[in-house]
Amino acid sequence: MSTAAFARRVDKALGDPLLKVALDRTAGTAEAKRAVAVAAYPGFDDARDRAAAIKDHVIANLGHYLEQLEANAKAAGARVHWARTADEACRMVVDICRAAGAKSVARSKSMLGEEIGLPHALEAAGIGRVETDLAEHIIQLADERPSHIVWPAMHKTREQVSDLFRAHHREPHHEESIAAMAESARRELRQRMLGADVGISGANFLIADSGAVCTVTNEGNAELSLVPPRVHIVTAGIEKIVPSMAHAVHMLRVLARSATGAAITQYTTFYAGPRRSGDRDGPEEMHIVLVDNGRTEMRNGDLAEMLRCIRCGACMNHCIVFRQIGGHAYGGTYPGPMGSVLTPQLDGLKPNRDLAHACTLNGRCQEVCPVRIPLPTLLRGWREKSWREGLEPISVRSALGLWAWFVRRPRLYRLVGSVGARLLSAWGRRGWISKLPLADGWVEHRDFPAPEGGSFMAQYRRQRGGR
Amino acid sequence: MTARDAILSRLAADVHSERIAAEAAALLVDPPLPPMPEGDPVDLFLDKLSEAAISATHDRIGNIAALPAAVVRYLDKWRLPHSLCLPPDPALTELDWAGFELHATAAPDETAALALALAGVAETGSLVFETGPHAPMLPNFLCLHHLVVLPQTAIVTRLESVVNAGLQPVRAHYWVSGVSGTTDIEGQYVRGAHGPRYLHVIVVDDA
Repeated sequence: MSTAAFARRVDKALGDPLLKVALDRTAGTAEAKRAVAVAAYPGFDDARDRAAAIKDHVIANLGHYLEQLEANAKAAGARVHWARTADEACRMVVDICRAAGAKSVARSKSMLGEEIGLPHALEAAGIGRVETDLAEHIIQLADERPSHIVWPAMHKTREQVSDLFRAHHREPHHEESIAAMAESARRELRQRMLGADVGISGANFLIADSGAVCTVTNEGNAELSLVPPRVHIVTAGIEKIVPSMAHAVHMLRVLARSATGAAITQYTTFYAGPRRSGDRDGPEEMHIVLVDNGRTEMRNGDLAEMLRCIRCGACMNHCIVFRQIGGHAYGGTYPGPMGSVLTPQLDGLKPNRDLAHACTLNGRCQEVCPVRIPLPTLLRGWREKSWREGLEPISVRSALGLWAWFVRRPRLYRLVGSVGARLLSAWGRRGWISKLPLADGWVEHRDFPAPEGGSFMAQYRRQRGGR
Repeated sequence: MTARDAILSRLAADVHSERIAAEAAALLVDPPLPPMPEGDPVDLFLDKLSEAAISATHDRIGNIAALPAAVVRYLDKWRLPHSLCLPPDPALTELDWAGFELHATAAPDETAALALALAGVAETGSLVFETGPHAPMLPNFLCLHHLVVLPQTAIVTRLESVVNAGLQPVRAHYWVSGVSGTTDIEGQYVRGAHGPRYLHVIVVDDA
């Protein structure tokens, strides 16, 4: 991916007349519901402080908690595997599937699975994969990537979903309603979940003191994917640990409210090991693959705060850039503000340096983050790194150099500034500028407001003088 | 070096586990809780069940012997056959189920399944279950109508009461807070995505 690729994807997104509607429908609803939930919880800001403190405590003592989790998961009968990289993690999962003689796996939506490229790895290994979350099922049929971490198919309209289901389902919907389409997916997926050899999930939380893995869903697809198969494989980022179920309860309160505005998800399950003697159902084997994939580096470097992230999606729902361009334009596994911080770490800064710039620094993401991640600060960190490492293009470097030259000469700077403002003001039509040399990137998709009065310094002097 | 050692070596595992435990415990002291109305936990729980987020129905019976009749009431209301997936729990199987077609394992398109809950939580309207030889998990996700028996004495105010009560080290604990739903197509809510479409709670007053 290159800078040009990012610009192309943004162009494509802005030119899609349906995308903005789809984005506003889903993210707009989530934003409104979260606001209602937060208004009904006067201590929510304190709850966010506590959630951040719990995560910071775990990240500071991550080695201790990983060892505790490993010991307790083993005691519960699970097998624990460690993966340094995405490839290593995928290899482990494929090996476990092969050892189990698996022909088909049912997968319950997991962003970590997307991050490590697990869908592709399973395909390459010739193992049939059934995505069981309704949205993941839709994008699997469309052969696309998720465009949001909570609503992966938010970019699809009902008409597009209808076409996909008619083309792929054995017994598709009889009427053009969303309820009938959901029913069609229920029919289609149920048999596949019951017939899968392996169930694969992520983890919303790993519970250190019991070795349990917690998943949350509203559809109940995790349980239907993970209970019937003979083998359950969990792939989880090492930062997903909490000390105990009681700590998880606190995290769940802020997670559900931030993601969907609900007090809790419909189904919250803690799986500890394989089926016990006498149990009527549950897998015979449970494997937990603990994935680093850059997390230890983030922790020991400048991105430790990013490891607090609980993947609620509030930052993107409230981001004015995401709301214009949607998730695919970002090009990585994770979109929006949290994605712009994570993608340069996961996929390299050089091809992704644009992400840190595709941000107004308005701070909305930080204001709504349930674990108070200073996302704008972390994005600024990537901007600085990009500058230091010489990744910014010559045009940006020389423009900034020119600006730096002027700004060190205040009189000249003010003179050029006020002349420039007057020129721009005269150039504009009815207060707006729609064509501007050297600023095509700005005015191509929106107008630039023409300056209305004098410069900031001129106004400042006037106001001070008036006192 | 194994992957495990490589990862742990970068984390310089702290050996002061007593300090870590003290810090972890301090993080649970006086948690900022969502407010709840005053009142009896049982009333609050039943109110919560009827809210849109949970949209469950409920019934109350004097004692467990009245359970089969309550199940008949529910099935008849929906004009469903008297067929039920009943877990092999003696507390349930020893009741008089005359006239019922009972089975212990759920069919892929099971109409109705009954389960005994460990607790009910007024804060969220959650029903808490655990797996075991008498308590399979799958029927509660395969069925269309999920019927839940809950002793009134097992209703608590907060999720913390459940967690701190000392749960058994079973294979799985699961909290059911409503019916299976999805908003994955155009953000529109649909009931009964993969799992139950209806949730009915039968509270046993004298359990």
